[in-house]
Amino acid sequence: MSDIAAEHPIEPTSLGIDNRKLVVWTFIASEVMFFTGLIVTYIVMRGRSTTGPYPEEALSVPLVAINTFILLSSSFTMVTALSAIQRGDARGLRRWLIATAVLGLLFLSGQAVEFTTLFNDGASLSSNLFGATFFTLTGFHGMHVFVGVIWIAFVLARAFRGGVTKDNHLAVELVGLYWHFVDIVWIIIFTVVYLLRM
Amino acid sequence: MESEQQSKPNYLGVFAALVVLTATEVAVTYLPVPRLPILIPLSITKAVLVVLFYMHLKYDRRLFSGLFLIGVFGALAVILSFVLLFQPPLLDVAK
Repeated sequence: MSDIAAEHPIEPTSLGIDNRKLVVWTFIASEVMFFTGLIVTYIVMRGRSTTGPYPEEALSVPLVAINTFILLSSSFTMVTALSAIQRGDARGLRRWLIATAVLGLLFLSGQAVEFTTLFNDGASLSSNLFGATFFTLTGFHGMHVFVGVIWIAFVLARAFRGGVTKDNHLAVELVGLYWHFVDIVWIIIFTVVYLLRM
Repeated sequence: MESEQQSKPNYLGVFAALVVLTATEVAVTYLPVPRLPILIPLSITKAVLVVLFYMHLKYDRRLFSGLFLIGVFGALAVILSFVLLFQPPLLDVAK
């Protein structure tokens, strides 16, 4: 195996793969279906609202485009963190993980601003079908980002204690897989919900 | 799976591609062109770039690709079910 997808010292398993990594990929596979369900429900229901606000008048692309850039950047900082520890650069790992968590929090702040604007415009979970499906979808995504930030914080705490090294960095790889998946979900949401809003 | 290519992917290059593709997507919404046939392929390209290079599926064990594809096929089944259930309205809003 290449050192890019790192091999880790583990107890032997029947597949020769670390169970923790297998669990994360299985979880991601289930999440693909989960978010597809939410996204398709949104597509079907958004045009069925009998009262406003409607997506084409409520959603604003500029703020969300900035948020998208923030989340894409956070994927880059995350993969750079993994790359750093694969070189044995523990300081670089900590620095890039902190950057990733900060970008995640910035994304959540942007989402909070967006949600507040939408609430003020009369959109909410109970306003109409657009509101119900929009906030369920983006809210679940935001919750995933929040969980990701917490997860990064745990890995970071371990890194500061010296528990993440060049030869033992599965924790970074796993949180990275989750984080990149959450980024992918946003890539699809940005296009389907915001750019194809009319 | 032993990868033939041992050198690291160009992470910065992938990031640049993601930003350029996103900017292209936003630009398309200001042009008088049909959005759906342009934006969906661009969006899927971005997702594939992240999966292959940032999540390392291109270099990792095939088993992980298989697991991920099971999720993708499940997702396609979900989409197909919704299309069949809600066909006329779905086509209306997706134009």
